[in-house]
Amino acid sequence: MDKLFDLILRAGTVDRRWIFLVIGLAVLLPLFFPLGLPIRATIATQKVYDAVEALEGNSKVLVSFEYGPSTKPEIHPMTVGLLKHLFTNGHQVYVTCLWPDGQFMAEEALTEVAEEEFNLSYGEDYVLLGFRPGNEAVVKGMVSNIRKLYTTDARGTLVDDIPMMKNINKVADFDFIFSASAGYPGTVEWVQYASDPTGVPISTGTTSIQVNDIMPMVNSGQVQGILAGMPGAAEYEALIGSPGIGTSGMDAQSIAHLVIVLFIVFGNITYFIEVQRSKKY
Amino acid sequence: MLWKRQIPILIATVVGLSTLFGWFIDHPTIESFVNDDATQWYDILASFAIFLGALNLMKLQGKKIIKQQSGWQYSIFAIGGFFFAIIAGFIYKGNDAVEWGIHVTSKGTLFKWMFEYMFTPLSATMFALLAFFVASASYRAFRVRNLEATLLLVSGIIIMVGRVPLGSSISSWFIMYLLVLIATLVVNVKFKDKKITFGALLGGLLIVTIWGSLLGWPIDQPNLFYLPILQDWIYNNPNVAGARAIMIGIGLGIFATSIRYILGLEKSYIGE
Amino acid sequence: MLKDKEFWLVAGGMSLAFIIYWLAGTPLFKEERIVMFLVIVIMSANLIYYTRFARKGGEIFLRAIPGLKAVEEAVGRSTEMGKSVLYVPGIMDMDQVETVAGVIILGHVSKMTSRYETSLNVPVSRSIVMKAARETVREAYTMEGRPDLFQDDMVHYLTDDQFAYAAGVNGIMVREKPAACLYMGKFYAESLILAETGNSIGAIQIAGTASQSQIPFFVTACDYTLIGEEFFAASAYLSQSPELMGGLKGQDMMKAGVTATILLSLLMRILFDLGLIKWNIISILTVQ
Repeated sequence: MDKLFDLILRAGTVDRRWIFLVIGLAVLLPLFFPLGLPIRATIATQKVYDAVEALEGNSKVLVSFEYGPSTKPEIHPMTVGLLKHLFTNGHQVYVTCLWPDGQFMAEEALTEVAEEEFNLSYGEDYVLLGFRPGNEAVVKGMVSNIRKLYTTDARGTLVDDIPMMKNINKVADFDFIFSASAGYPGTVEWVQYASDPTGVPISTGTTSIQVNDIMPMVNSGQVQGILAGMPGAAEYEALIGSPGIGTSGMDAQSIAHLVIVLFIVFGNITYFIEVQRSKKY
Repeated sequence: MLWKRQIPILIATVVGLSTLFGWFIDHPTIESFVNDDATQWYDILASFAIFLGALNLMKLQGKKIIKQQSGWQYSIFAIGGFFFAIIAGFIYKGNDAVEWGIHVTSKGTLFKWMFEYMFTPLSATMFALLAFFVASASYRAFRVRNLEATLLLVSGIIIMVGRVPLGSSISSWFIMYLLVLIATLVVNVKFKDKKITFGALLGGLLIVTIWGSLLGWPIDQPNLFYLPILQDWIYNNPNVAGARAIMIGIGLGIFATSIRYILGLEKSYIGE
Repeated sequence: MLKDKEFWLVAGGMSLAFIIYWLAGTPLFKEERIVMFLVIVIMSANLIYYTRFARKGGEIFLRAIPGLKAVEEAVGRSTEMGKSVLYVPGIMDMDQVETVAGVIILGHVSKMTSRYETSLNVPVSRSIVMKAARETVREAYTMEGRPDLFQDDMVHYLTDDQFAYAAGVNGIMVREKPAACLYMGKFYAESLILAETGNSIGAIQIAGTASQSQIPFFVTACDYTLIGEEFFAASAYLSQSPELMGGLKGQDMMKAGVTATILLSLLMRILFDLGLIKWNIISILTVQ
């Protein structure tokens, strides 16, 4: 028994690079050999889905991209899923970006969904207004007068010449807001300066870390549900019946979480053995 | 002294009070100042201030190269990267069919290439480090030292496993059997009697088995032991309660600090 | 700080102006926001009262904050080891109060490093923060009588981008191996990257942030963490200045007031839902 404990204690002082290697394999292998674990939507994700489903036909939806390449694996599947859902239901989508990186992400998502999958018409079914600097000042500006901020869209076309921008002058003219946010500025600013003052309903998708900050707003009803990280994206894909990158990443995330839990349990076993030995001697 | 002390304090006080109390005034000019102009002035200042930072960066990295200080080779990459971005942004488009400005997101331009093949992989790599660091930090830090640490550990495990599809595949009966085993361990430590330990184990196993057989072994019943439902409850209740309390405290701290600046009680920004 | 007579003159004048404005029918005032206005006035008055109370010599008790006591220990450790102190004031700009608080604490840390002649390295993520931090450090060194030790390059700009900044700071940590790493400001996802790298080089780490979601990562990886309000209290704690300590007391009283308001509102809402009163407290407390 002592020999076993000695072995466990030696294993417990392993160089952290071995831990990195095991985690790397735990993430990599399921990507090559998918497990196909079933995905069950949580209440928070269901609320987002229900909010979008409840929109009347041909609603005007403002989607804001506030993420970059680093958080793309978590949030991009959400935005792609949301765009698919919105276009399937026949809504008009207006895209803004509070982050400069967000414009690149928006271009990619719109190309993939609006152009290639749905073959929609730019300026009539969707428009990319683009990035404007100013953080929450952009949100406040849009609440009072969009055309003061956006004279042209991201492609250089005058906003006045875009058919679907007719009668869109401020945030209150939209029927729904969705914020795909990885930090500041993001969901909090949209809720504080746009949704709460104007009463336009809002839903959001954020990184897993940010969910804590937004959850009080979801519970108070200020935000209609939340897509929480990659699991939220996978759940949303399952609800709309279109599995994508979010779904394929969940096997890897499941195994990685399990491995981390096993490491924690193992770490505590070594801790107990050390404590017992120090008491004994 | 007037320029270095009284005038900065006056500017901070006037602008601070105007922005704070301007929110209560129903006048278009004041509303425009509070909602748009104040923050935009700041953004314009910050944008021009980038020159200060860029010059400082070039100066430091250049000095390292000229004096061949330790690690000077990395400074070549720093300066090279800086000028490459300048060229891609302002000098060479790479696709003459697009206008300056929108060339940053247009296909076929050097800037877009730089974003897709340099910036994106580098950003994603740095963020991916978090996965490894979370594992090593958790391994090192999550120890059952006291009651609070135990609660943290248990709730952390429940949320980590319950949040992912794997968690919804784990039956609540498996969790109940696991709890019976843990309870037996605790009984053994407390009473140190084999008969009592064996009795507790057998009793626990029988109760769970009979209960499960009667209900037909549904995966998500009883609710209390189904990980996704448990993690949802932890997220929505104790977690949000704690988050709200911290948010209120932080909000008050931000208010107090801001008021101290506006009223001139805190003068550290001028070095006092 | 105004003397008593001057203070009451100013306060009286402002009150009189407000009364005249009120009697004139509050032109241009958004009356739906009166509650928030009163809250701001009451909270500010509370802060000013306790600040003056402390200034006049009133006793203010401040509990020990281990993270702040450890700052001097960390600087001392760096001095003994002949290594530098790395100070990271967050990744946001001076428009965030946390960054401002981080720069304030930097001032106190600089006083310690100048006193002990320890080298200080402050990589920053924003140009305006660089200027403000530089002035703060310069002033601290001058006040300690060691302007000769100050160099402009102590505070230097890296990059605005979050992860590029994290990579840059990590590189500094791994190459220069500072003995103490202090993270004081607003952080996002890079917090764990910084803290874990600091841990791997064996540095003593003290973090302070009001970024709620990053606090758990700092608690896990750092030796000491200032959580939420403790971070804003740091300036008062380190300087022991009466005005700042009075402000802290005022902050605590505000928290007591908020707690009492929450409990009272809960009770009134219950009574409203039961139909025992007709007055909905939520409609009054909702910010318009």
